[in-house]
Amino acid sequence: MESHPTHSKYLPLKGAVQRYPRTASAIFQTYNDLLLVQQWSDLELVDLPTCERCGFQGRRPENNTLTSVVPCSLAESLSMSWLQSAFGGFEPHEELFLAISAEDSSIVYYKLSMGITKPPL
Amino acid sequence: MSTRIPIHVSNQTALVWDVDHVATLRSEHRICGVLSGTLPHLSQQNIFLGVPLVLVPEELVLLVEKQFATIVHDPAAHHPATPAQLESWDAQRQRGIAHQVREAGRRKGEDRAPAATDAAAQQKRAERDARRQRQLAEAAEDAGPGPAITPAPAPPSTTSDAPPAAVYTVSVPTTSGAFAWYAPAAHEYETLDAAREAGVWTYPATEEERARCEVFRDLWEKGYYLGGGSKFGGDWLVYPGDPLRYHSHFVATVQTSPSAPLRPMEIVAHGRLGTATKKAHLLCGWDPASREVTYISVEWAGFG
Repeated sequence: MESHPTHSKYLPLKGAVQRYPRTASAIFQTYNDLLLVQQWSDLELVDLPTCERCGFQGRRPENNTLTSVVPCSLAESLSMSWLQSAFGGFEPHEELFLAISAEDSSIVYYKLSMGITKPPL
Repeated sequence: MSTRIPIHVSNQTALVWDVDHVATLRSEHRICGVLSGTLPHLSQQNIFLGVPLVLVPEELVLLVEKQFATIVHDPAAHHPATPAQLESWDAQRQRGIAHQVREAGRRKGEDRAPAATDAAAQQKRAERDARRQRQLAEAAEDAGPGPAITPAPAPPSTTSDAPPAAVYTVSVPTTSGAFAWYAPAAHEYETLDAAREAGVWTYPATEEERARCEVFRDLWEKGYYLGGGSKFGGDWLVYPGDPLRYHSHFVATVQTSPSAPLRPMEIVAHGRLGTATKKAHLLCGWDPASREVTYISVEWAGFG
């Protein structure tokens, strides 16, 4: 495992995965997707203890703005208070992307905005 | 008191029967409801509907709490009619029908009058008559000096006045106000509590129903119009102005409490449908402890 060329990329995840074994697969899958598929830069972990997982912040290649992501599994049960505490774990916290991953490793992102935010025209 | 709009409740269904009240609700109180009245002979058509206006329970609760309306228990307000009352009502009804038919007939006559005096039409008719006369004369000449042909009497003109059996549409009143046996005063409730005590109106009865009422009221107070959301998989559609003038910006669903379960699949389904219809999805969370509504807007991210 350690000899795999991408192994060093996952070292930052080690602590979070050990701390939150229940959400480890969603954390790993989302990190993997953001780093290798979406090609985000400056990807960093943000600890979200109230949500029992870590989130991520990074810059999207297309607009270079700092973007926050919270991972979850399709099988989980969330709630309004869960979403609000996830928002509270990031700075700035008006906008948050929810990364929903499934067992087949497919992943989909939804943009959540605090308050009544009009859709773009 | 009298300026409040009576909402007629029957079997926990809220109805408004007066078109002026329907207009007031919409233009002054931003409450649209749904027109549901149709015609007995054309009950399948649903393009043009009229009174009664059906209100969803949250609309009634808001209108009564804001003191814009009162609840009238309609079945109890209609008392058994005496034979004398029924006779008088029937006589009045017949007079009304006769009057309407007379008026309709008079209007029909007026409508036709200009056509008869139309110069072009008169000239055409004169030409047609002249042609017919000529043809008759020619036919008579061809027949030679035989027995004289007496032309058949002209058939009655199809454009003669007043067709023998005219069909009129007679309108009947939709309100009960004129009935001698209708006495709403003793069955009118100004508050939800009074109506609940009488067993006339019980909504909201559960935590979920209370949450729906609170979210409805909060969005209404922010100036939005709300319409039914079933076509877009939500509880309501949220419009920035009158739904006749604006498209909705949001599809809203109510989360009964901060801990109410919310499955990621719901976020996917709502978010994707909303984005495909150029709307955002609005998660509306009611917190019974803080008595506040919080909103989270959902859209597809555009990647992944």
